[in-house]
Amino acid sequence: MSEKDANPSAKDALVGGSLFGRWEKLRGREGTVVGITAILVAVFPYLFARAPVVSGILQGYQSLATLILIWGIFAIGFDLLLGYTGLLSFGHAAFWGGAAYAAGIVAKNVSGDPIVMVVSGTLFAVLLAWVLGFLSLRRGGIYFSILTLAFAQMFYYMAASPLAFLTNGENGLTGVEVGSFLGVIHLESDIPSVGGMLLGTWLYAFVGVFFVGAVAVAYRILNSPYGMVFRAIRENEQRAEFVGLNVWRYKLMAFIISGAFAGIAGSLFTIHGAYVPLQSLFWTESGDIVVMTVLGGAGSMFGPVLGVGLYLYIENIVSTIQALTIPFTDIVLIRDFGFYWHLLLGLVFVVVVWVVPDGLWGILNRLRELAVEFGSKAAERLRSRSKGGGR
Amino acid sequence: MSLLSDVLVILLNGLQQGAIYVLLAVGLSIILGTLKFVNFAHGALYLIGTYAGLFVALNVPLSNGKLAEWGFSSFGLDIGFFAALIFVPLFVFGVGLLMERYLARAFYDRPDTDQILVTFGLAIVVQELFRVLFGSNSLPFEQPERILSFGSFAGLPVSGPVALPIVGNFPQWRLWVIGITAVLVALVYLLVEYTDFGLVVRAGTRDAEMVRLLGIKITRPYIVVFGIGAALAGVAGVVGGPLNVVNPTIGTNILVPAFLTVVIGGVGSIAGAVVGGIVFGLTTAALVAFAPAWSQVGLYAIAAIVLLTRPQGLLGDEEVTP
Amino acid sequence: MARDNKSLNRRDVLKATGAVGTAGLAGLAGCTGGGDDSGGGGGGGGDDEYPALGNYPIEGDTATFGFNVPQSGPYASEGEDELRAYELAVKHLNEGGGWVDSQFDDLSGDGVLGYTIDHVDGDTATDADQARQSASGMIQRDDAIMISGGSSSAVAIAVQGLCQNEKVMFMCCLTHSNDTTGTDCVRYSFREMFNAYMTGQALAPVVRDAYGEDLQFYQLYADYSWGQTQQASMEQFMTDVAGWEQVESVATPLGTSDYSTYLSGAQSSGADVLILNHYGLDGANSMQQAIDAGIDEEMEIIVPLYNRPMAEAAGGAIEGIYGTVAWDSQIDNTPSQEFTQAFRDEYDRTPSGPAQLAYAQTLQYAAAVERAGTFYPPEVIRQLEDYEYDNIGMGAETMRGCDHQAQRDVPVVQGLPASEQSEGTYFNIVNITSRDDLGYACDAGPAAECELGSYE
Repeated sequence: MSEKDANPSAKDALVGGSLFGRWEKLRGREGTVVGITAILVAVFPYLFARAPVVSGILQGYQSLATLILIWGIFAIGFDLLLGYTGLLSFGHAAFWGGAAYAAGIVAKNVSGDPIVMVVSGTLFAVLLAWVLGFLSLRRGGIYFSILTLAFAQMFYYMAASPLAFLTNGENGLTGVEVGSFLGVIHLESDIPSVGGMLLGTWLYAFVGVFFVGAVAVAYRILNSPYGMVFRAIRENEQRAEFVGLNVWRYKLMAFIISGAFAGIAGSLFTIHGAYVPLQSLFWTESGDIVVMTVLGGAGSMFGPVLGVGLYLYIENIVSTIQALTIPFTDIVLIRDFGFYWHLLLGLVFVVVVWVVPDGLWGILNRLRELAVEFGSKAAERLRSRSKGGGR
Repeated sequence: MSLLSDVLVILLNGLQQGAIYVLLAVGLSIILGTLKFVNFAHGALYLIGTYAGLFVALNVPLSNGKLAEWGFSSFGLDIGFFAALIFVPLFVFGVGLLMERYLARAFYDRPDTDQILVTFGLAIVVQELFRVLFGSNSLPFEQPERILSFGSFAGLPVSGPVALPIVGNFPQWRLWVIGITAVLVALVYLLVEYTDFGLVVRAGTRDAEMVRLLGIKITRPYIVVFGIGAALAGVAGVVGGPLNVVNPTIGTNILVPAFLTVVIGGVGSIAGAVVGGIVFGLTTAALVAFAPAWSQVGLYAIAAIVLLTRPQGLLGDEEVTP
Repeated sequence: MARDNKSLNRRDVLKATGAVGTAGLAGLAGCTGGGDDSGGGGGGGGDDEYPALGNYPIEGDTATFGFNVPQSGPYASEGEDELRAYELAVKHLNEGGGWVDSQFDDLSGDGVLGYTIDHVDGDTATDADQARQSASGMIQRDDAIMISGGSSSAVAIAVQGLCQNEKVMFMCCLTHSNDTTGTDCVRYSFREMFNAYMTGQALAPVVRDAYGEDLQFYQLYADYSWGQTQQASMEQFMTDVAGWEQVESVATPLGTSDYSTYLSGAQSSGADVLILNHYGLDGANSMQQAIDAGIDEEMEIIVPLYNRPMAEAAGGAIEGIYGTVAWDSQIDNTPSQEFTQAFRDEYDRTPSGPAQLAYAQTLQYAAAVERAGTFYPPEVIRQLEDYEYDNIGMGAETMRGCDHQAQRDVPVVQGLPASEQSEGTYFNIVNITSRDDLGYACDAGPAAECELGSYE
């Protein structure tokens, strides 16, 4: 699955000179990946929330666009661990929520500068990930999942009662005042002129920069020797060990990196909402990121982001509609869709795990391959026909 | 009040809280130990057990959910709690067999993470199904007045308080929970330790391949193990149901402590599950008495400490753990 | 992950993709409602003497209200009832009927300021995070001019903070924590519901008369802001007003579902009264377990605040137990009877307390807009601040300007035995404690910690 993104050389050889081949080659380069990501990030809120017709159909809105990017960063980091290293953590809420609280508490007591908030939240998450990783990784397999779950729940209950003087307990951390960026730009305000039409708010731009950065960093990591080792561990931990790799250290590193991504996302979440809900530490939050990542496609760069977008879109928009109809007709597929969507989501999730472990992204990828194959075959046929034509 | 009575109350409450964990943990543990299958849907079996128990034992009015919308104003056979104790485990045993045959078996050879993911998904599906049918509000599961009443025999009173020496009034049902758990766990223990069936299961736990080479068909004991584990979760639902309100989230809520019970007790060990459950129950009860704010945190802290100092669990077998 | 499982055959893939594709498309096309981009350019009232603020001015001739209630999760049944009341309010605003005809002289039954009222609803799932996401959708996408809802204090506090930032008005429904109009109060939010402090004040004289003076009481309280404020006010008023003495007060952490050990402590304390400061399902659990342990035979039990899901879940366990409720259909005055009748006519069921709050808060907002002559939020807020009214079935009230807390009577009730309970009837009204015996000055109690924030 991921191999295609990572080293497209084999594919290149196959479909060499064709248009598809050139595209395949381009797809692989870091600059291209980051560039395309940046362009998509730039037009996304316009299409989603403001463009005529399209946004009318999509029914999107600005803050959901921002939220999708924030969770997207979280998912990319989570996938480094689950999809690439093969470790299933059920405790990432600790890093997401922990960073959110850290950023919020810093904003309330020290400085509301958004950069300071992100840095402190992320630092906290990294430290926490280092400690929890150190402890949880002593056990493999299911023990790792259960240990991370246990530790994260411990933090949830700590934030709920004993540490309520810091966290404001069940009410959530209220009264977070996010300062202006570089002392001049209020993140909540709209960007003037064309930038505003495309991106909307400064906050979106701020989050967007982090998102593109996250994609670039993740791409770098995955294509570095580190990324190779991660994959080696996923494929066969024992063999990796025999080759002489310090598997434990690499796993810890993967855990900390994914904690850092969760930390950035969690801090941005606080900036986005100027509020931290206690639920951000609850295990269902960990469950959500697992579901999003797996649905979208663990082990691919953009699959999890796709999963995030789809999940949040359904949760916030599709679930509010009363009856799901077949497009442009009045034929009702499901009444009370909002009532059923969690059930349907669960069913789809089971099916994905069972039948298509590489998720929606895997399906899209296979479709693309089919198209490529079909295209190159067609080209082949065309060529042979033109050759044959001379006869 | 005397220190002695305080200690006794903590003991009784701890045992009772631990009892539900034990029932769930024994099931989880034998499935995990024997089949190497991680069942995150074990809480869902508990959920099914509770609603099934409610259905058999009582007749509760429904005001939410699709069933109410479809015209069912109440729910239940109302044939008594003892009947529930008999029928529900059988029913959940059946559910377990189906689950083994059509879900678990496809995942035995797949990685742990896939097993966790698919059963996690199944847990969501079951929970949501109950939410759709019965609504997300809570239903009252009243404690049975008496059990074992036949004809002229009035039966044994099980609800309400009973005066114990030293301790004073104590809810009678909680004593029954401890008793029922003890009997069931003893039965499973005997089954595994002293029957041919148990022998195959234990051998399979050690080295499934060798057992197969010896010409013993392992599939049947395996499916039964799954069924027994499920039935225990069902019983836990029936006896634990009346202790709390009943709603579709009880399954997922109890899953985490149940799993922690297994891992601190030691996987594959019935005695371990019992010890783990009791340790949990007693710690929670003691923390509640002395440091209430930390009682929830304490559960997880204990689990973490045990796992870090004794990774195979308190009574775990070094070899069995992966 | 294992490689060998990835070898899917093509038909599987196509099947799966097909399904996903349809669902996706269907999802898109399903969202046909709420196309409010008509750009009618200030139809209706056409008041553009104020600067743009939040979602003001309203485009087109339809004003949208956002109703944010729990539709999933433990309080879904309560949320459904609130939603019924909200929809009834919108219907009455547009077409007349109910209190619009009889109680609110400011309202015409022909929309508000010439605008037709439309509404959107969202699911909070009693989860602060989800509630905020749902509210931001209503504000940003549906251009809601007013948000109302909430079935828990954490949700109300989270959403009212968002509304203050977005400059959209929030009318609280059920929220009982002191903090909503205390430390976490905001300018853009108004609360009709009484709070934990007033519950203590309302209960104390009633239980003193019922159980006598010179008693000892023992408290358990949920260890979060609502529980803490609730236990503090119970301690204060049971001591000052009822003349009782507190033996001990023990916190039960969030997420506790087995209270047996806590209850054993209460039992052995020798106190005469047990106060269970738990709400909703926690309350149902602790109450049920207290009854099972036989505590009701030795001690009197009090729960400060009842709601319907709690009564449903606890069944007969609430028999004879004192508490307070937001409102009840048995309250005997004209507005209450009219509302109950209108609700029954529409839905053929008995309205719950939160339903009355939802209905009243929506009309209250609409009437304030009419009086202000504009939807411009600061003007509407000024109309509501220190407004005096006597038309929603809870006697004469004042919406206090200093903390946006209604000063009103509080109904004290006793739970009915299981045999006398029926759909919508769980309590027996014991007393309506007058607002003259309740509340606190603007510089005292929770109000002392309230800073409302800016109008604009």
